[in-house]
Amino acid sequence: MNWWVKRTGQALFTIWAVITITFALIRGLPGDPGSRIRDQAQRHNPSMSQAALERLIEARIPASYDDPIHVAYWEYLTSVLQGDLGYSTFRQGDVAPEIASVLPWTILIMSLSMLLMFALGLGLGALMAYKEGSRFDTALTGVSIFFNSIPYYVAAVLLIAVLGYRLSVFPARGTHSDATEPGLSVHFVLDALYHATLPTVSFVITGFGIIALTMRGNSIQTLGEEYIRVAKLRGIPDRRIAIRYVGRNAILPMWTTLLISIGFMFGGAIILEEIFQYRGMGWLMFRSIEHNDIYLMMGTFLIVTIAVVVSLWIADATYGWLDPRIKSGDESESY
Amino acid sequence: MSTHETTAADERAHSASDPIVEIRNAEVVFEMDRGVSRVLDDVSLEIERGEILGIVGESGSGKSMLASSMLDAVVDPGVLSGEITYYPEDGDPIDVLALSDHELRQLRWEEIAMVFQGAMSSFNPTMKIRTHFEETLEAHNYSLGEGMDRARELLSDLYLDPDRVLDSYPHELSGGMQQRTLIALSVVLQPNVLVMDEPTAALDLLMQRSIISLLEDLKAKYDLTMVFITHDLPLVAELADRLAVMYAFELIEQGPTQDILHDAGHPYTRALLNSTPNLDAPLEEMRPIAGSAPDPVNVPAGCSYHPRCSLATDRCVAQDPDSRPVDGDHVVDCHHWEDAADEIPLNHLANMEGDR
Repeated sequence: MNWWVKRTGQALFTIWAVITITFALIRGLPGDPGSRIRDQAQRHNPSMSQAALERLIEARIPASYDDPIHVAYWEYLTSVLQGDLGYSTFRQGDVAPEIASVLPWTILIMSLSMLLMFALGLGLGALMAYKEGSRFDTALTGVSIFFNSIPYYVAAVLLIAVLGYRLSVFPARGTHSDATEPGLSVHFVLDALYHATLPTVSFVITGFGIIALTMRGNSIQTLGEEYIRVAKLRGIPDRRIAIRYVGRNAILPMWTTLLISIGFMFGGAIILEEIFQYRGMGWLMFRSIEHNDIYLMMGTFLIVTIAVVVSLWIADATYGWLDPRIKSGDESESY
Repeated sequence: MSTHETTAADERAHSASDPIVEIRNAEVVFEMDRGVSRVLDDVSLEIERGEILGIVGESGSGKSMLASSMLDAVVDPGVLSGEITYYPEDGDPIDVLALSDHELRQLRWEEIAMVFQGAMSSFNPTMKIRTHFEETLEAHNYSLGEGMDRARELLSDLYLDPDRVLDSYPHELSGGMQQRTLIALSVVLQPNVLVMDEPTAALDLLMQRSIISLLEDLKAKYDLTMVFITHDLPLVAELADRLAVMYAFELIEQGPTQDILHDAGHPYTRALLNSTPNLDAPLEEMRPIAGSAPDPVNVPAGCSYHPRCSLATDRCVAQDPDSRPVDGDHVVDCHHWEDAADEIPLNHLANMEGDR
């Protein structure tokens, strides 16, 4: 029980620290936002009048920006705790609903990618281990290393060029076609999946290799364990040995990697969603930086942080359940 | 279980002896880059029903290979040849090496079970002890209720608290508890033969002694035939009815325990007896055996012990000695066994006689 309190406390502390640091960093950006907006606006539209510029700046910069920094910090912190992430000047609305409207798209792509990546990686890795040294193993090891060395954004561009434009089999941009009405209809779901194909595939084909190779190594090590031999002699069916003995013990060390990769994928989403013009979290984050939208920037960072912290919390919490040798704190009993 | 008539079994008349497992000319060969590794070389052995047989030898003498052979469980890419015959109490003899996968699954654990060295590594670390018992019973279509009652009884016979052990994960048990649990797991299907490969290797002396006495109780209660494989001659001498000594992947001497201890015929057995610490003999008289055990790829010609033997002659280099009877069941593979007693006096005997 003690351990849970401590671990949850740690998670909350991390979130608080990130709020504070993002706040400080964004406030500390060189130059004041007013002149940044002025520069940008003049570059895009040199003929803009001085009065229009002033109006634009006023609209973009939150009124509280001129408050002393400690007052502004306190105000932000308390409103975040109440679920209010501030006002987005670029999207002309509250930050929280803005994020909520794009978040499902990112979650869709990420969960699809993770699911396929791990299913493919773990499955192939285990197969390679069972056929260690065969031509299948050698060939697939080569393939895994090759795909793993391609950056996902390069794969994305290639996929767009070939499947998106040359062959036109998958849509190259967007989350769903404009003609489809968003809703829980079969048609819409299929259309969303259709649009999610290329971004998901870019993540999966560049990510499954390392998982397959790790799984292969872990499985080979597990296969050599004495308890596998004893289980075979005891007459335990091969299927059960493969799943309950080899699989379970080989996946254990990868559990934390799996949940950490959620954080990595959020980071990757910025570039990927930009390439595919996929209106998810990454796309929104990029826009917020482009438009000097302070509250939107802080809000998106905060959500990503919370996602990573929660994943790690889940990883820690479930590890003791997966591997009985790792007991959380004081409940371990040895006699 | 379906059975196979074997020619060897037919030819052999069952006189006074009543073997439960018979090994004839067993050989295990590994093909390696640097040559053929023969890790079991023409071993023939009979295990009598109801006896405790001790197999003694130094590390790398082929003891574990012999144990695995009895279950046709030699690890790949080893190739086992020869004849292994299992004689059920009633029914026809079974040719172990001719069994199908399915029949082999039944023979293993239901008829012949095995306890491996290193109990810790014999359990799946992410599974409770109870699951190990249950899945074994299920895999062999045994009744779960009856089986678990038997498991509980076995565990308490071994002085363990059944419920506590069954609800534990392997790492939550001490080394001695794990070893005893593993013994219980190996007899839960009521096999007739229990083969134990260094079952006490990782345990302290007190735990070794207590396991030995528990094994004696277990044997009496469940009517087991036991094969106890160890490098520890004094330990197994307390338990075994008969001893078989292995050197360089061959059996070089076998006979009743007392005959081996007091009247060993093979110079190696005598040297082995003199090399083990003994309370009756002063430490200065402990003699290590000079030289080292041979490489399985390159075993010396003739008698494989000749490079280390003080009795070796040209004959030993040229000709591999056959088994010759000393008296009764005591057989030895040595050209000069009659001279061994004078050449290599046994320390523990000399001192015992000196005390008198």
